[in-house]
Amino acid sequence: MRAAALCGALLAWACAHAQHAGHGQDKTAARVELAASVAFDAQGALWAVSKSGVHVVLRRSGDAGKSWSVPQRVNAAAEGIGADGDSRPKIALGPKGEIYVTWTKPLSKPYTGDIRFARSTDGGKTFSAPVTVHTDQQEITHRFDALTVTRDGKLFIAWIDKRDMVAGVTSGKAAKYQGAAVYFAVSDNQGASFRGDFKLADHSCECCRIGLLPRDDGSVLALWRHVFEPNVRDHALGVIHADGRAGAVRRATFDEWAVDICPHHGPSLAADADGHLHAVWFTQGAKRAGVFYGRLRLSGEGGVDALRRVGGEAAEHADLVASGKKVFVLWKEFDGTRARLRAMMSDNGGDTWRERDLFSTAGASDQPRALQHGGRFYAFWNTQREGFVTLAVSP
Amino acid sequence: MNRRNFLIKANSYIIFGLPALQAMAAATRTDALLPFDANSPAALRKTHVGKPFVLAFWSVYCEPCRDEMAEWNAVKQKHPALPIVLVSTDAPADRALIDTFLAKYPPGPVQKWLFADAFTERVRYSVDKSWRGELPKSYFFDAAHRAEVKSGKVDRVWIERWLAKQER
Repeated sequence: MRAAALCGALLAWACAHAQHAGHGQDKTAARVELAASVAFDAQGALWAVSKSGVHVVLRRSGDAGKSWSVPQRVNAAAEGIGADGDSRPKIALGPKGEIYVTWTKPLSKPYTGDIRFARSTDGGKTFSAPVTVHTDQQEITHRFDALTVTRDGKLFIAWIDKRDMVAGVTSGKAAKYQGAAVYFAVSDNQGASFRGDFKLADHSCECCRIGLLPRDDGSVLALWRHVFEPNVRDHALGVIHADGRAGAVRRATFDEWAVDICPHHGPSLAADADGHLHAVWFTQGAKRAGVFYGRLRLSGEGGVDALRRVGGEAAEHADLVASGKKVFVLWKEFDGTRARLRAMMSDNGGDTWRERDLFSTAGASDQPRALQHGGRFYAFWNTQREGFVTLAVSP
Repeated sequence: MNRRNFLIKANSYIIFGLPALQAMAAATRTDALLPFDANSPAALRKTHVGKPFVLAFWSVYCEPCRDEMAEWNAVKQKHPALPIVLVSTDAPADRALIDTFLAKYPPGPVQKWLFADAFTERVRYSVDKSWRGELPKSYFFDAAHRAEVKSGKVDRVWIERWLAKQER
């Protein structure tokens, strides 16, 4: 284990802690596995899950990423763990420190999978045996799990599901069903059981992560890449409720990306103290191409305010969080030699921004994750060379 | 449709060495998966100097890529002289999945390559600075190696139109 702390005059804005806790492997290794997710608990401990072969592994850091515990297996029995493109294990913490973990278990047919869930109610000492979240047991697409916990402790899991497309094939209407669907399940008892399978929307794109945002009223907002008529892969917003109801699907982005494509490049969603919705997404639409930030309008016909390009032409996999009126956008961008971790911050809800370079690496890296705890922003990046990199970002 | 000059890295010609040449010779063997890295685009330009060719990227994890294989197969049958370079962006560890995929959805006698660098940003950048990894992604190079870039599944009608332009 090697720990590097880069705190000083050169990095007054950001303090970097890199440690070889990630799956840093050299180029000759069988596979570079970097897909990781992180979350803070209420006490400020940082928890990370990642793929390690046929296991999801959990690590804890009590010092915001300076050091990490040894990896602990979440699933005791070996099984496939999806970590291709936008697919990766997810972690969320409950109000009483419950640790919730989801992942997609690939099945034997291509593009198929089951959404798996395991929990720990003893601070990560032990995990429940993994269960499949959905009741639908067909060997079809149930992939791209997304996970969030509401303030009142309800657990929401959403995923991309192809049962309706498959039903269309069976009934001879397959040509009419575009894309997949978004389904969800809810647990009221800390993940002991789930109610589902509730449908949020027909006609989602097939291979992008879903952004989930818990709201004060106990509902959850979802943002996903949709397939609008005739074949436009822009984003949609929808509200889901703990009783299984889903609100109307609203168009959220208007880039006119009409294409049969597998972007593996899903959106992220955050809300500031004023309730404004902030999002980052990727498009190559007729109207604009690149990674974009915008404030999403929920009222009327919808629309995007304060639209802004994120980074340069190589920018990818942006994530964001908000705290108060501050918004923190994070992305990675290859500069011809190194992959750079870049950020932009706004103090006024996305009206004006300043940009910073946070870190760079000369090897493979995962999608970066933006976090906040106690009003402070953090960047997390799993890199092949430096392992887990956690940066506390001061304004 | 973008029309964009293919990126040239001048030093790629200098470091373009024997292993790459051997790879090129083996490229005609349909059973071989040749290693594709940041030097490969320049090497391919050199191999196909003065001639049109197609450079197309896919993955076993990409659903539209599955349907696109039949398009490549049909184009190759009709235009056997057109070089089609098909590159899997998967990892060498995915080899078994790739073989299964290609057996099930045969693209025909095209050149088959495989990403050989886990630092995939570096490889993508050598092809196209603004390619974020979305698939399928195809580059149709004319004789002067100016590329028409297609994001998403290509269809035969579009390819035939592009081919007709090359013959004018």
